Amino acid sequence: MALARIRWAGTGEFTLTELRVQLHEGLAIVTSMVVQAVLLTFVVLLARSILPYALIGAVLYSVFMLGQRVQNEAAYIRIDHKLSDLYHASPLSAEGYFVGMSAGVLLAYLPPILVLAVVLELVAPLGAVATLVLIATAAALWLFTCSLGYVISTFFRDNRAIWPYASLITSAFGVLPPVLYPIRFLPGYWHPIAMLLPTSSAACLVEAAQGGLVALSAPTLALGAVALLVEAVGVFLFALYWARRSAQER
Amino acid sequence: MSAEALVARDLTKTYTLRGGITVPALRGVSLTIHPGERFALLGRNGAGKTTFLRIASTLLVPSSGTVEVFGHDAIGDPDSVRPLLAVVPQEGKPFFHLTPREQVYTYLCARGFSRATAKARTEEALEQMGLEEVADRLSVTLSGGQRQRTVVATVIATEAPLLFLDEPTIGMDPFARRGVWETFRRLTRRGSTILLTTHYLDEAENLAQRLAIVERGRVLVVGTSESLKQQVGGTFRVSVGGGSRIRPQLASFGNLVEDGEAVHVIVGPERVQEILALSVREGLAATVGPVTLEEAFLSVVGHSINEES
Repeated sequence: MALARIRWAGTGEFTLTELRVQLHEGLAIVTSMVVQAVLLTFVVLLARSILPYALIGAVLYSVFMLGQRVQNEAAYIRIDHKLSDLYHASPLSAEGYFVGMSAGVLLAYLPPILVLAVVLELVAPLGAVATLVLIATAAALWLFTCSLGYVISTFFRDNRAIWPYASLITSAFGVLPPVLYPIRFLPGYWHPIAMLLPTSSAACLVEAAQGGLVALSAPTLALGAVALLVEAVGVFLFALYWARRSAQER
Repeated sequence: MSAEALVARDLTKTYTLRGGITVPALRGVSLTIHPGERFALLGRNGAGKTTFLRIASTLLVPSSGTVEVFGHDAIGDPDSVRPLLAVVPQEGKPFFHLTPREQVYTYLCARGFSRATAKARTEEALEQMGLEEVADRLSVTLSGGQRQRTVVATVIATEAPLLFLDEPTIGMDPFARRGVWETFRRLTRRGSTILLTTHYLDEAENLAQRLAIVERGRVLVVGTSESLKQQVGGTFRVSVGGGSRIRPQLASFGNLVEDGEAVHVIVGPERVQEILALSVREGLAATVGPVTLEEAFLSVVGHSINEES
Protein backbone atom coordinates (compact mmCIF):
# COMPACT_ATOMS: atom_id res chain seq x y z
CA MET A 1 0.00 0.00 0.00
CA ALA A 2 2.74 2.41 1.01
CA LEU A 3 4.65 1.62 -2.18
CA ALA A 4 1.60 2.46 -4.27
CA ARG A 5 1.59 5.94 -2.78
CA ILE A 6 5.09 6.78 -3.92
CA ARG A 7 5.01 9.72 -6.33
CA TRP A 8 7.65 10.19 -8.95
CA ALA A 9 6.46 13.48 -10.47
CA GLY A 10 9.35 15.59 -11.70
CA THR A 11 12.06 13.00 -11.00
CA GLY A 12 13.53 13.11 -14.51
CA GLU A 13 13.54 16.88 -14.69
CA PHE A 14 15.08 17.28 -11.26
CA THR A 15 17.74 14.74 -12.26
CA LEU A 16 18.64 17.03 -15.14
CA THR A 17 18.66 20.06 -12.82
CA GLU A 18 21.02 18.37 -10.41
CA LEU A 19 23.18 17.15 -13.28
CA ARG A 20 23.50 20.72 -14.58
CA VAL A 21 24.45 21.93 -11.10
CA GLN A 22 27.07 19.23 -10.69
CA LEU A 23 28.54 19.69 -14.18
CA HIS A 24 29.23 23.33 -13.38
CA GLU A 25 31.60 22.00 -10.71
CA GLY A 26 33.85 20.04 -13.03
CA LEU A 27 36.89 20.33 -10.80
CA ALA A 28 35.06 18.56 -7.99
CA ILE A 29 34.26 15.70 -10.36
CA VAL A 30 37.88 15.38 -11.47
CA THR A 31 39.28 15.60 -7.96
CA SER A 32 36.79 13.00 -6.70
CA MET A 33 39.30 10.37 -7.78
CA VAL A 34 42.39 11.84 -6.11
CA VAL A 35 42.22 9.67 -2.98
CA GLN A 36 41.65 6.52 -5.03
CA ALA A 37 44.46 7.41 -7.45
CA VAL A 38 46.94 8.04 -4.64
CA LEU A 39 45.94 4.83 -2.92
CA LEU A 40 46.32 2.81 -6.12
CA THR A 41 49.74 4.36 -6.71
CA PHE A 42 50.87 3.25 -3.26
CA VAL A 43 49.46 -0.22 -3.88
CA VAL A 44 51.37 -0.49 -7.18
CA LEU A 45 54.59 0.62 -5.48
CA LEU A 46 54.27 -1.26 -2.20
CA ALA A 47 51.90 -4.22 -2.53
CA ARG A 48 51.26 -4.98 -6.15
CA SER A 49 49.72 -8.37 -5.32
CA ILE A 50 46.59 -6.70 -3.87
CA LEU A 51 46.09 -4.40 -6.85
CA PRO A 52 43.01 -6.28 -8.17
CA TYR A 53 41.37 -5.97 -4.73
CA ALA A 54 42.27 -2.30 -4.53
CA LEU A 55 40.88 -1.62 -8.00
CA ILE A 56 37.58 -3.41 -7.33
CA GLY A 57 37.46 -1.64 -3.97
CA ALA A 58 38.23 1.73 -5.55
CA VAL A 59 35.27 1.38 -7.92
CA LEU A 60 32.92 0.44 -5.08
CA TYR A 61 34.39 3.05 -2.73
CA SER A 62 33.75 5.69 -5.41
CA VAL A 63 30.15 4.53 -5.69
CA PHE A 64 29.82 4.67 -1.92
CA MET A 65 31.14 8.24 -1.89
CA LEU A 66 28.23 9.28 -4.14
CA GLY A 67 26.04 8.99 -1.07
CA GLN A 68 28.29 11.39 0.81
CA ARG A 69 27.94 13.85 -2.06
CA VAL A 70 24.15 13.51 -1.93
CA GLN A 71 24.29 14.07 1.81
CA ASN A 72 26.34 17.24 1.43
CA GLU A 73 24.31 18.53 -1.50
CA ALA A 74 20.94 17.90 0.17
CA ALA A 75 22.07 19.56 3.38
CA TYR A 76 23.68 22.49 1.58
CA ILE A 77 20.74 23.43 -0.59
CA ARG A 78 18.29 22.95 2.29
CA ILE A 79 20.23 24.77 5.00
CA ASP A 80 22.19 27.41 3.08
CA HIS A 81 19.94 28.05 0.09
CA LYS A 82 16.48 27.07 1.40
CA LEU A 83 15.86 25.62 -2.04
CA SER A 84 14.21 22.54 -0.59
CA ASP A 85 11.29 24.82 0.40
CA LEU A 86 11.07 26.08 -3.16
CA TYR A 87 10.92 22.53 -4.53
CA HIS A 88 8.87 20.86 -1.79
CA ALA A 89 6.11 23.46 -2.09
CA SER A 90 5.60 22.51 -5.72
CA PRO A 91 4.25 19.64 -7.82
CA LEU A 92 7.71 18.02 -7.78
CA SER A 93 7.25 15.08 -5.43
CA ALA A 94 9.45 14.72 -2.36
CA GLU A 95 10.46 11.29 -3.67
CA GLY A 96 11.35 12.81 -7.03
CA TYR A 97 13.48 15.42 -5.30
CA PHE A 98 15.48 12.76 -3.43
CA VAL A 99 15.81 10.30 -6.31
CA GLY A 100 16.44 13.06 -8.86
CA MET A 101 19.22 14.50 -6.73
CA SER A 102 20.78 11.04 -6.31
CA ALA A 103 20.52 10.27 -10.02
CA GLY A 104 21.93 13.67 -11.01
CA VAL A 105 24.94 13.18 -8.76
CA LEU A 106 25.40 9.66 -10.17
CA LEU A 107 25.34 10.84 -13.78
CA ALA A 108 27.82 13.63 -13.07
CA TYR A 109 30.27 11.41 -11.23
CA LEU A 110 29.86 8.32 -13.40
CA PRO A 111 32.62 9.16 -15.94
CA PRO A 112 35.50 9.02 -13.43
CA ILE A 113 34.06 5.81 -11.98
CA LEU A 114 33.97 4.36 -15.49
CA VAL A 115 37.59 5.38 -15.96
CA LEU A 116 38.44 3.37 -12.85
CA ALA A 117 36.45 0.44 -14.23
CA VAL A 118 38.41 0.65 -17.49
CA VAL A 119 41.67 0.65 -15.55
CA LEU A 120 40.41 -2.39 -13.64
CA GLU A 121 39.59 -4.10 -16.94
CA LEU A 122 43.06 -3.34 -18.29
CA VAL A 123 45.01 -4.34 -15.20
CA ALA A 124 42.94 -7.20 -13.81
CA PRO A 125 40.23 -8.11 -16.31
CA LEU A 126 37.05 -9.42 -14.73
CA GLY A 127 35.13 -12.35 -16.17
CA ALA A 128 31.59 -11.90 -17.40
CA VAL A 129 30.05 -13.12 -14.15
CA ALA A 130 32.28 -10.93 -12.02
CA THR A 131 31.45 -7.94 -14.24
CA LEU A 132 27.74 -8.54 -13.79
CA VAL A 133 28.20 -8.95 -10.04
CA LEU A 134 30.18 -5.70 -9.96
CA ILE A 135 27.39 -3.85 -11.77
CA ALA A 136 24.70 -5.36 -9.54
CA THR A 137 26.53 -4.73 -6.29
CA ALA A 138 27.46 -1.20 -7.37
CA ALA A 139 23.78 -0.50 -8.10
CA ALA A 140 22.73 -1.86 -4.71
CA LEU A 141 25.48 0.11 -3.01
CA TRP A 142 24.37 3.28 -4.81
CA LEU A 143 20.80 2.79 -3.59
CA PHE A 144 22.03 2.25 -0.06
CA THR A 145 24.52 5.08 0.13
CA CYS A 146 22.34 7.76 -1.50
CA SER A 147 19.42 6.81 0.72
CA LEU A 148 21.56 6.89 3.83
CA GLY A 149 23.12 10.21 2.81
CA TYR A 150 19.78 11.86 2.09
CA VAL A 151 18.20 10.69 5.35
CA ILE A 152 21.18 11.84 7.41
CA SER A 153 21.15 15.24 5.70
CA THR A 154 17.65 15.94 7.03
CA PHE A 155 18.69 15.77 10.67
CA PHE A 156 20.96 18.79 10.70
CA ARG A 157 20.36 22.52 10.90
CA ASP A 158 23.99 23.50 10.42
CA ASN A 159 26.28 22.28 7.66
CA ARG A 160 29.33 22.31 9.86
CA ALA A 161 27.69 19.84 12.24
CA ILE A 162 27.51 17.27 9.43
CA TRP A 163 31.25 17.16 8.74
CA PRO A 164 32.25 14.89 11.64
CA TYR A 165 29.45 12.46 10.81
CA ALA A 166 30.46 12.39 7.15
CA SER A 167 34.00 11.54 8.18
CA LEU A 168 32.75 8.84 10.55
CA ILE A 169 30.52 7.24 7.92
CA THR A 170 33.26 7.28 5.29
CA SER A 171 35.60 5.55 7.72
CA ALA A 172 33.02 3.06 8.99
CA PHE A 173 31.83 1.98 5.55
CA GLY A 174 34.66 2.77 3.16
CA VAL A 175 38.05 2.78 4.87
CA LEU A 176 38.02 0.35 7.81
CA PRO A 177 36.17 -2.67 6.34
CA PRO A 178 37.80 -4.81 3.64
CA VAL A 179 36.77 -2.77 0.64
CA LEU A 180 40.14 -1.57 -0.59
CA TYR A 181 42.12 -4.52 0.78
CA PRO A 182 41.52 -8.32 0.86
CA ILE A 183 39.26 -9.69 3.58
CA ARG A 184 41.92 -12.29 4.39
CA PHE A 185 43.84 -9.57 6.21
CA LEU A 186 41.13 -9.67 8.87
CA PRO A 187 40.82 -12.48 11.47
CA GLY A 188 38.16 -15.02 10.51
CA TYR A 189 35.70 -13.99 13.21
CA TRP A 190 35.45 -10.57 11.59
CA HIS A 191 34.34 -12.01 8.25
CA PRO A 192 30.60 -12.33 9.01
CA ILE A 193 30.61 -8.81 10.44
CA ALA A 194 32.33 -7.50 7.31
CA MET A 195 29.67 -9.22 5.23
CA LEU A 196 26.98 -7.26 7.02
CA LEU A 197 28.38 -3.99 5.72
CA PRO A 198 27.17 -3.21 2.20
CA THR A 199 30.54 -1.91 1.04
CA SER A 200 32.68 -4.85 2.10
CA SER A 201 30.03 -7.43 1.18
CA ALA A 202 29.87 -5.89 -2.33
CA ALA A 203 33.66 -6.07 -2.65
CA CYS A 204 33.80 -9.66 -1.43
CA LEU A 205 30.98 -10.76 -3.74
CA VAL A 206 32.81 -9.36 -6.78
CA GLU A 207 36.09 -10.91 -5.65
CA ALA A 208 34.35 -14.25 -5.12
CA ALA A 209 32.80 -14.07 -8.58
CA GLN A 210 36.28 -13.48 -10.00
CA GLY A 211 37.43 -17.02 -9.13
CA GLY A 212 40.23 -17.29 -6.64
CA LEU A 213 40.45 -13.73 -5.37
CA VAL A 214 38.67 -14.55 -2.14
CA ALA A 215 38.10 -17.81 -0.31
CA LEU A 216 34.89 -17.42 1.68
CA SER A 217 32.38 -20.16 2.45
CA ALA A 218 29.13 -20.24 0.53
CA PRO A 219 27.06 -19.39 3.64
CA THR A 220 29.27 -16.37 4.31
CA LEU A 221 28.87 -15.15 0.74
CA ALA A 222 25.12 -15.79 0.90
CA LEU A 223 24.98 -13.75 4.08
CA GLY A 224 26.78 -10.93 2.25
CA ALA A 225 24.43 -11.06 -0.74
CA VAL A 226 21.29 -11.12 1.38
CA ALA A 227 22.57 -8.37 3.67
CA LEU A 228 23.46 -6.14 0.74
CA LEU A 229 20.09 -6.66 -0.92
CA VAL A 230 18.07 -6.18 2.25
CA GLU A 231 20.04 -3.13 3.30
CA ALA A 232 19.86 -1.51 -0.12
CA VAL A 233 16.14 -2.06 -0.62
CA GLY A 234 15.27 -1.47 3.02
CA VAL A 235 17.16 1.78 3.38
CA PHE A 236 15.93 2.99 -0.02
CA LEU A 237 12.28 2.37 0.90
CA PHE A 238 12.81 4.09 4.23
CA ALA A 239 14.44 7.04 2.46
CA LEU A 240 11.43 7.35 0.14
CA TYR A 241 9.15 7.42 3.17
CA TRP A 242 11.47 9.81 4.97
CA ALA A 243 11.77 12.14 1.98
CA ARG A 244 8.00 12.51 1.98
CA ARG A 245 7.78 12.93 5.72
CA SER A 246 10.58 15.46 5.99
CA ALA A 247 9.13 17.56 3.17
CA GLN A 248 6.51 18.59 5.71
CA GLU A 249 8.37 19.25 8.94
CA ARG A 250 6.90 18.24 12.28
CA MET B 1 -11.79 25.69 -6.45
CA SER B 2 -13.54 27.17 -3.41
CA ALA B 3 -14.28 30.86 -2.97
CA GLU B 4 -11.32 31.55 -0.70
CA ALA B 5 -7.65 31.26 -1.61
CA LEU B 6 -6.63 30.43 1.93
CA VAL B 7 -8.57 29.80 5.12
CA ALA B 8 -6.64 29.16 8.33
CA ARG B 9 -8.54 28.29 11.48
CA ASP B 10 -7.15 28.34 15.02
CA LEU B 11 -3.62 27.47 13.99
CA THR B 12 -1.23 26.74 16.80
CA LYS B 13 2.37 25.67 16.62
CA THR B 14 4.62 24.90 19.54
CA TYR B 15 8.25 24.04 18.99
CA THR B 16 9.93 21.74 21.47
CA LEU B 17 13.60 22.51 21.92
CA ARG B 18 16.35 20.49 23.51
CA GLY B 19 15.73 19.91 27.18
CA GLY B 20 11.99 19.86 26.64
CA ILE B 21 11.67 23.64 26.48
CA THR B 22 8.53 24.57 24.55
CA VAL B 23 8.20 27.73 22.49
CA PRO B 24 4.75 28.70 21.28
CA ALA B 25 5.17 30.20 17.79
CA LEU B 26 1.49 30.44 16.85
CA ARG B 27 -1.32 30.73 19.38
CA GLY B 28 -4.62 30.41 17.56
CA VAL B 29 -4.23 32.22 14.25
CA SER B 30 -7.25 32.45 11.99
CA LEU B 31 -7.05 34.24 8.64
CA THR B 32 -8.93 34.26 5.36
CA ILE B 33 -7.31 35.45 2.15
CA HIS B 34 -9.47 36.09 -0.89
CA PRO B 35 -8.60 35.04 -4.44
CA GLY B 36 -6.65 37.68 -6.33
CA GLU B 37 -5.76 39.51 -3.14
CA ARG B 38 -2.36 40.85 -2.07
CA PHE B 39 -2.16 40.24 1.68
CA ALA B 40 0.74 41.19 3.94
CA LEU B 41 1.70 39.72 7.29
CA LEU B 42 3.53 42.21 9.48
CA GLY B 43 5.22 41.55 12.76
CA ARG B 44 8.42 41.76 14.70
CA ASN B 45 11.16 39.18 14.34
CA GLY B 46 9.92 35.93 15.84
CA ALA B 47 6.29 37.03 15.83
CA GLY B 48 5.22 33.90 13.93
CA LYS B 49 4.96 35.17 10.34
CA THR B 50 7.29 32.62 8.78
CA THR B 51 5.82 29.80 10.85
CA PHE B 52 2.37 30.68 9.55
CA LEU B 53 3.62 30.91 6.00
CA ARG B 54 5.41 27.56 6.21
CA ILE B 55 2.33 25.84 7.59
CA ALA B 56 0.07 27.38 4.96
CA SER B 57 2.48 26.38 2.19
CA THR B 58 2.53 22.69 3.33
CA LEU B 59 6.10 22.83 4.63
CA LEU B 60 5.31 22.53 8.33
CA VAL B 61 2.68 20.63 10.32
CA PRO B 62 0.87 22.72 12.96
CA SER B 63 0.25 21.55 16.49
CA SER B 64 -3.48 22.10 15.91
CA GLY B 65 -5.83 23.89 13.57
CA THR B 66 -6.65 23.62 9.89
CA VAL B 67 -5.60 25.26 6.62
CA GLU B 68 -7.51 25.09 3.38
CA VAL B 69 -6.05 26.29 0.09
CA PHE B 70 -8.75 26.72 -2.53
CA GLY B 71 -10.79 24.19 -0.57
CA HIS B 72 -8.02 21.58 -0.29
CA ASP B 73 -6.66 20.43 3.05
CA ALA B 74 -3.09 21.78 3.11
CA ILE B 75 -2.10 19.74 6.15
CA GLY B 76 -3.68 16.36 5.58
CA ASP B 77 -3.39 16.31 1.80
CA PRO B 78 -0.41 18.49 0.82
CA ASP B 79 -0.06 16.80 -2.59
CA SER B 80 -3.37 18.24 -3.71
CA VAL B 81 -2.30 21.74 -2.67
CA ARG B 82 1.31 21.90 -3.89
CA PRO B 83 0.50 22.33 -7.60
CA LEU B 84 -1.50 25.43 -6.62
CA LEU B 85 1.29 27.29 -4.88
CA ALA B 86 4.84 28.55 -5.09
CA VAL B 87 7.08 29.87 -2.33
CA VAL B 88 9.87 32.42 -2.07
CA PRO B 89 11.64 31.13 1.05
CA GLN B 90 13.06 33.53 3.59
CA GLU B 91 16.74 34.05 2.76
CA GLY B 92 16.38 31.72 -0.21
CA LYS B 93 19.20 31.65 -2.74
CA PRO B 94 19.34 30.19 -6.23
CA PHE B 95 21.65 27.31 -7.07
CA PHE B 96 25.02 29.07 -7.15
CA HIS B 97 26.18 26.89 -10.03
CA LEU B 98 23.25 27.64 -12.27
CA THR B 99 22.64 30.85 -14.17
CA PRO B 100 19.39 32.74 -13.52
CA ARG B 101 18.11 31.51 -16.88
CA GLU B 102 18.90 27.89 -15.96
CA GLN B 103 17.47 28.32 -12.47
CA VAL B 104 14.08 29.56 -13.65
CA TYR B 105 13.88 27.20 -16.62
CA THR B 106 14.81 24.02 -14.74
CA TYR B 107 12.44 24.88 -11.91
CA LEU B 108 9.55 25.27 -14.32
CA CYS B 109 10.45 21.97 -15.99
CA ALA B 110 10.54 20.25 -12.60
CA ARG B 111 7.05 21.62 -11.94
CA GLY B 112 5.86 19.89 -15.08
CA PHE B 113 5.70 22.73 -17.60
CA SER B 114 6.48 21.84 -21.20
CA ARG B 115 9.89 22.98 -22.41
CA ALA B 116 8.38 25.56 -24.76
CA THR B 117 6.21 27.08 -22.03
CA ALA B 118 9.09 26.97 -19.56
CA LYS B 119 11.35 28.76 -22.01
CA ALA B 120 8.81 31.49 -22.77
CA ARG B 121 7.96 32.07 -19.10
CA THR B 122 11.63 32.10 -18.16
CA GLU B 123 12.37 34.91 -20.59
CA GLU B 124 9.35 36.86 -19.42
CA ALA B 125 10.23 36.48 -15.73
CA LEU B 126 13.86 37.44 -16.30
CA GLU B 127 12.75 40.56 -18.12
CA GLN B 128 10.25 41.49 -15.41
CA MET B 129 12.95 41.15 -12.77
CA GLY B 130 15.48 43.10 -14.83
CA LEU B 131 17.85 40.17 -15.01
CA GLU B 132 18.41 40.00 -18.78
CA GLU B 133 21.98 41.31 -18.58
CA VAL B 134 23.06 38.74 -16.00
CA ALA B 135 20.83 35.89 -17.16
CA ASP B 136 23.76 33.77 -18.32
CA ARG B 137 26.13 34.45 -15.45
CA LEU B 138 26.48 31.87 -12.71
CA SER B 139 24.47 32.99 -9.69
CA VAL B 140 27.53 32.74 -7.49
CA THR B 141 28.88 35.83 -9.27
CA LEU B 142 25.71 37.90 -8.74
CA SER B 143 25.05 40.49 -6.06
CA GLY B 144 22.72 39.70 -3.16
CA GLY B 145 19.90 41.69 -4.73
CA GLN B 146 20.32 39.96 -8.08
CA ARG B 147 20.23 36.56 -6.39
CA GLN B 148 17.06 37.54 -4.58
CA ARG B 149 15.52 38.70 -7.86
CA THR B 150 16.46 35.34 -9.38
CA VAL B 151 14.55 33.51 -6.66
CA VAL B 152 11.56 35.82 -7.11
CA ALA B 153 11.74 35.34 -10.90
CA THR B 154 11.74 31.58 -10.37
CA VAL B 155 8.54 31.79 -8.37
CA ILE B 156 6.62 34.39 -10.35
CA ALA B 157 7.31 32.49 -13.57
CA THR B 158 5.05 29.71 -12.25
CA GLU B 159 2.05 32.08 -12.14
CA ALA B 160 0.76 29.72 -9.46
CA PRO B 161 -2.69 30.55 -8.09
CA LEU B 162 -1.25 31.21 -4.62
CA LEU B 163 2.19 32.73 -4.07
CA PHE B 164 3.85 32.81 -0.66
CA LEU B 165 6.60 35.41 -0.51
CA ASP B 166 8.66 35.54 2.66
CA GLU B 167 10.44 38.90 2.65
CA PRO B 168 10.66 38.86 -1.14
CA THR B 169 12.45 42.18 -1.66
CA ILE B 170 15.06 41.92 1.07
CA GLY B 171 18.42 43.17 -0.16
CA MET B 172 16.99 44.86 -3.26
CA ASP B 173 17.59 48.49 -4.14
CA PRO B 174 14.59 50.88 -4.19
CA PHE B 175 14.29 50.75 -8.00
CA ALA B 176 14.31 46.96 -8.04
CA ARG B 177 11.76 46.83 -5.22
CA ARG B 178 9.34 49.02 -7.13
CA GLY B 179 9.77 46.88 -10.22
CA VAL B 180 8.98 43.79 -8.18
CA TRP B 181 5.90 45.44 -6.68
CA GLU B 182 4.59 46.19 -10.16
CA THR B 183 5.15 42.57 -11.14
CA PHE B 184 3.22 41.40 -8.09
CA ARG B 185 0.35 43.73 -8.99
CA ARG B 186 0.34 42.34 -12.53
CA LEU B 187 0.24 38.79 -11.20
CA THR B 188 -2.80 39.48 -9.04
CA ARG B 189 -4.52 41.18 -11.96
CA ARG B 190 -4.00 37.90 -13.83
CA GLY B 191 -5.67 36.02 -10.98
CA SER B 192 -2.89 34.94 -8.62
CA THR B 193 -3.19 35.53 -4.89
CA ILE B 194 -0.19 36.78 -2.92
CA LEU B 195 0.59 36.36 0.75
CA LEU B 196 3.78 38.14 1.70
CA THR B 197 5.68 38.90 4.84
CA THR B 198 7.80 42.00 5.03
CA HIS B 199 9.58 44.29 7.43
CA TYR B 200 9.30 47.14 4.93
CA LEU B 201 6.14 48.93 5.98
CA ASP B 202 6.19 51.10 2.88
CA GLU B 203 6.11 47.88 0.88
CA ALA B 204 3.08 46.64 2.79
CA GLU B 205 1.37 50.01 2.42
CA ASN B 206 2.04 50.25 -1.31
CA LEU B 207 1.40 46.66 -2.20
CA ALA B 208 -1.02 44.96 0.16
CA GLN B 209 -4.74 45.40 -0.18
CA ARG B 210 -5.15 43.98 3.32
CA LEU B 211 -2.70 43.22 6.06
CA ALA B 212 -2.50 41.56 9.42
CA ILE B 213 -0.24 42.40 12.32
CA VAL B 214 1.06 39.35 14.16
CA GLU B 215 2.64 39.56 17.57
CA ARG B 216 3.81 36.66 19.72
CA GLY B 217 1.87 34.15 17.68
CA ARG B 218 -1.43 36.01 17.65
CA VAL B 219 -3.13 38.17 15.06
CA LEU B 220 -3.67 41.59 16.61
CA VAL B 221 -5.52 43.29 13.75
CA VAL B 222 -6.60 42.58 10.20
CA GLY B 223 -7.65 45.24 7.74
CA THR B 224 -6.57 47.72 5.16
CA SER B 225 -3.68 50.04 5.73
CA GLU B 226 -6.13 52.93 6.14
CA SER B 227 -8.40 51.10 8.56
CA LEU B 228 -5.38 50.14 10.62
CA LYS B 229 -4.27 53.75 10.84
CA GLN B 230 -7.75 54.77 11.95
CA GLN B 231 -7.76 52.11 14.65
CA VAL B 232 -4.84 53.72 16.42
CA GLY B 233 -6.83 56.74 17.51
CA GLY B 234 -6.40 59.36 14.86
CA THR B 235 -5.22 60.35 11.44
CA PHE B 236 -2.58 62.90 12.50
CA ARG B 237 0.82 62.43 14.01
CA VAL B 238 2.28 65.23 16.10
CA SER B 239 5.99 64.58 16.63
CA VAL B 240 7.43 66.33 19.64
CA GLY B 241 11.24 66.49 19.77
CA GLY B 242 12.38 65.76 23.35
CA GLY B 243 8.77 64.90 24.16
CA SER B 244 9.76 62.15 26.54
CA ARG B 245 10.22 64.95 29.14
CA ILE B 246 6.48 65.72 29.07
CA ARG B 247 5.33 62.17 28.33
CA PRO B 248 2.49 62.11 30.93
CA GLN B 249 0.90 65.27 29.50
CA LEU B 250 1.25 64.01 25.93
CA ALA B 251 -0.27 60.66 26.89
CA SER B 252 -3.46 62.43 27.89
CA PHE B 253 -4.04 63.45 24.25
CA GLY B 254 -3.89 60.03 22.59
CA ASN B 255 -1.73 57.06 21.65
CA LEU B 256 2.01 57.55 21.90
CA VAL B 257 4.76 56.07 19.81
CA GLU B 258 8.14 56.64 21.40
CA ASP B 259 11.22 57.05 19.28
CA GLY B 260 14.21 57.77 21.52
CA GLU B 261 13.75 61.21 23.03
CA ALA B 262 11.06 62.07 20.50
CA VAL B 263 7.42 61.18 21.07
CA HIS B 264 4.81 60.85 18.33
CA VAL B 265 1.24 61.49 19.44
CA ILE B 266 -1.52 59.95 17.32
CA VAL B 267 -4.59 62.18 17.47
CA GLY B 268 -7.58 63.46 15.58
CA PRO B 269 -7.44 66.93 13.98
CA GLU B 270 -9.24 68.60 16.91
CA ARG B 271 -6.34 67.95 19.33
CA VAL B 272 -3.46 69.04 17.12
CA GLN B 273 -3.54 72.71 18.15
CA GLU B 274 -3.51 71.85 21.85
CA ILE B 275 -0.41 69.68 21.51
CA LEU B 276 1.40 72.30 19.46
CA ALA B 277 0.55 74.91 22.08
CA LEU B 278 1.83 72.65 24.87
CA SER B 279 5.05 72.02 22.96
CA VAL B 280 5.63 75.74 22.46
CA ARG B 281 5.03 76.40 26.17
CA GLU B 282 7.57 73.71 27.05
CA GLY B 283 10.08 75.02 24.50
CA LEU B 284 9.95 71.86 22.40
CA ALA B 285 9.84 71.63 18.59
CA ALA B 286 6.86 69.86 17.10
CA THR B 287 5.82 68.84 13.59
CA VAL B 288 2.52 67.57 12.24
CA GLY B 289 1.94 64.99 9.53
CA PRO B 290 -0.35 62.14 8.54
CA VAL B 291 -0.13 58.91 10.49
CA THR B 292 2.05 56.37 8.68
CA LEU B 293 1.62 52.63 8.70
CA GLU B 294 4.86 52.39 10.62
CA GLU B 295 3.45 54.47 13.46
CA ALA B 296 0.23 52.51 13.42
CA PHE B 297 2.26 49.29 13.54
CA LEU B 298 4.43 50.54 16.40
CA SER B 299 1.39 51.71 18.29
CA VAL B 300 -0.54 48.43 17.88
CA VAL B 301 2.43 46.22 18.71
CA GLY B 302 3.56 48.54 21.51
CA HIS B 303 0.13 48.32 23.17
CA SER B 304 0.20 44.56 22.89
CA ILE B 305 3.64 44.36 24.48
CA ASN B 306 2.57 46.63 27.34
CA GLU B 307 -0.58 44.61 27.95
CA GLU B 308 1.29 41.30 28.02
CA SER B 309 3.94 42.60 30.36
